Amino acid sequence: MLSIQHRSKKFGDLQALDDISFDVVPGEITGLIGQNGAGKSTTFHSILNFLDYDGQIRWHGQPVDETVFDTIGYLPEERSLMPKLTIEQQIVYLARLKDKKAKDIRPQIDPWLKHFEVKGQKVDKIKSLSKGNKQKVQLICTMIHKPKLLILDEPFSGLDPVNMDILKQAILGAKDQGAAIIFSSHDMANVESVCDNLVMLRNGQAILNGTLDDVRNQFGKNQIHITGPWSVQELAALPHVTQVLTPRPRQFVLHLDDPGAGPAIFETLTQGKYIEAFVQQAPTLDEIFRMEVGAGHE
Amino acid sequence: MNKLWIVTAETYLRQVKTWSFLILIVSPFILLVISGGAGYLAGSSTANQDKIAVVSQQQPLRQQVIRQNKDDVNQKITTQKAAEKAVKSEDIAGYLVLSQSGQQVKAVYHSTRNMADTLKNQVQASLSQYQQALNLSEAKLTPQQSQALQQQPIFRQQLKEKQKNVSMAKMFSFWIMAFLAYMILTTYASITAQEIASEKGTKIMEIIFSSTTARKYFFGKILGVLLVILTQIAIYLGGGALCYILAQHLSFSREIIADNRTLIDGVLNNLVNINLLYLLLGVVLFTVLSAFSGALVAKVEDASKAATPAVYLNLVAFFSTFPFQGNAHSIVVTILSYVPFFSSYFMPFRMINYTVSPVEITISLLILVVTIIGSATYIGSIYEGLMLQTDDSSFFKRFKRGLSYRKQRT
Repeated sequence: MLSIQHRSKKFGDLQALDDISFDVVPGEITGLIGQNGAGKSTTFHSILNFLDYDGQIRWHGQPVDETVFDTIGYLPEERSLMPKLTIEQQIVYLARLKDKKAKDIRPQIDPWLKHFEVKGQKVDKIKSLSKGNKQKVQLICTMIHKPKLLILDEPFSGLDPVNMDILKQAILGAKDQGAAIIFSSHDMANVESVCDNLVMLRNGQAILNGTLDDVRNQFGKNQIHITGPWSVQELAALPHVTQVLTPRPRQFVLHLDDPGAGPAIFETLTQGKYIEAFVQQAPTLDEIFRMEVGAGHE
Repeated sequence: MNKLWIVTAETYLRQVKTWSFLILIVSPFILLVISGGAGYLAGSSTANQDKIAVVSQQQPLRQQVIRQNKDDVNQKITTQKAAEKAVKSEDIAGYLVLSQSGQQVKAVYHSTRNMADTLKNQVQASLSQYQQALNLSEAKLTPQQSQALQQQPIFRQQLKEKQKNVSMAKMFSFWIMAFLAYMILTTYASITAQEIASEKGTKIMEIIFSSTTARKYFFGKILGVLLVILTQIAIYLGGGALCYILAQHLSFSREIIADNRTLIDGVLNNLVNINLLYLLLGVVLFTVLSAFSGALVAKVEDASKAATPAVYLNLVAFFSTFPFQGNAHSIVVTILSYVPFFSSYFMPFRMINYTVSPVEITISLLILVVTIIGSATYIGSIYEGLMLQTDDSSFFKRFKRGLSYRKQRT
């Protein structure tokens, strides 16, 4: 388990991280979300020991040093490979730095290239690849040595929906093999679709921390999604409804000031008859993110 | 395999597999072959034009002159008519008409220009010998008297010739040494700085430093470059030795080698000794400096600028030797032979010109080695910070920040 305890870091007058504590458990995926400059990359750099810091970071009870490096797979935010090397040379070189033997890695390259649908041969130079394919090769470099701790800084940025899905499957595959995974993202839909746990950073502070459901539920189930033949005025007049949104025709989202009003609204709207949809739920991660980040700006 | 050696091997192989390295290696040999070939061709074509013809009715007289001047005489031309034609078409420099009237030997040289002094002396010597033989036979002397008259004075100039060669050897040795050092230092300073700057520019260092320590990676890079340099020097030495052996056996170069053996041996003795160690250590120190300046660059586009500090320092060290060419005993030379970056030029300069005590050499080498170890260790310790900081401030700001990075981190 990766354990981060009371982690703080200052750059001059800027408090980049302020007493951050959370765990990343093997076999689980933790999403690290926050605005630009919230401290996500600084957290990753601290885990990798690039920076001195206050607090404690341990991997299975041990400080993260060179003995732990071989079990880590790290994808930095800024994509980078050595342009003059071939795909094979690049993958083998980085894998050897993870203490893997070239003869063990070489046979795995083609299956990985196929799995990630990389357009190119392993003898092609990195500089000849498109941006998307470079990104996929870099992901292969990050994962081919089967790391026990996977740190991915914005892994989905720049990928189209098809490739995003391939990456999601790869991350879930690593999770099934027992890897502890932490990744950062601005795309809340991606975080919601793969994460077990969530840490939200704002100005260097962890303002939310827990399982995805816990985090969402702590905001209360104050939204009702319904589909039917009502008007906005009719719905807005209901008790405890503070706001009515219409994302699509005949679809409405009611915001409540009291989640306990749900059953009464259900009774009023259905009156014992069939309706197409009635779902009471907590705000989405995207909404929580906007709320929390917005609060920070007030 | 230890990660240090993985980085070393990768750096080494990436460098030696490039076309630029291959060109760097073979260009001096190609140059040697071209200049040797051109020299031979030019030599052989001008040789004929510088030759003379010797014509005479008295065959013993003609043969005497030809025998003693084989290389300078075109023996195919035997008649005055043919000789005149050859002079006109500039196939020969001129022709010598030899005759004998009574006991008097006579030689007339026909040409458009004066006979070369060396050849003139040789021809005169041959003619004198022939004339003397005629005189002796005319005088009807007893064999003892005749032998007594043939006694020659003994004149030796071997010592003087050797001294001349020694001073020429010193001059050649220094220039070869200085140019070799300058070229190698500049080449490798640029290669190292650009390699490290472009690595920093591609931001791959975060991935590397999540696999091994910055210090190990830095030492691996330096060792890799060092191996490339050793490969180059080894190929130069091996190739040079092969060329030297071949040159001793090839007809067109055999005589040149034999005539200049003292000079060549002197140059080789001056080069293939501790001076090579100075060259090697100098390159290592400049490589470390280049790696440091390469690590201070923020963008790939600036990679070419990264080598500037090392290249300029090398230039200054190289040109600093010029004013002291005739004054190797100057106190400035002595001081600079202990100063790292300069000692790689000045200590070999001193050693080529006069004997330097082993104590002085040891102290100078020790200072150089300690500087290399000290600077490599220090830069190794701040290397991670230098490579990971990518702000766009000015070069000097980054330089300053690089120097104080360790303080910032704590």
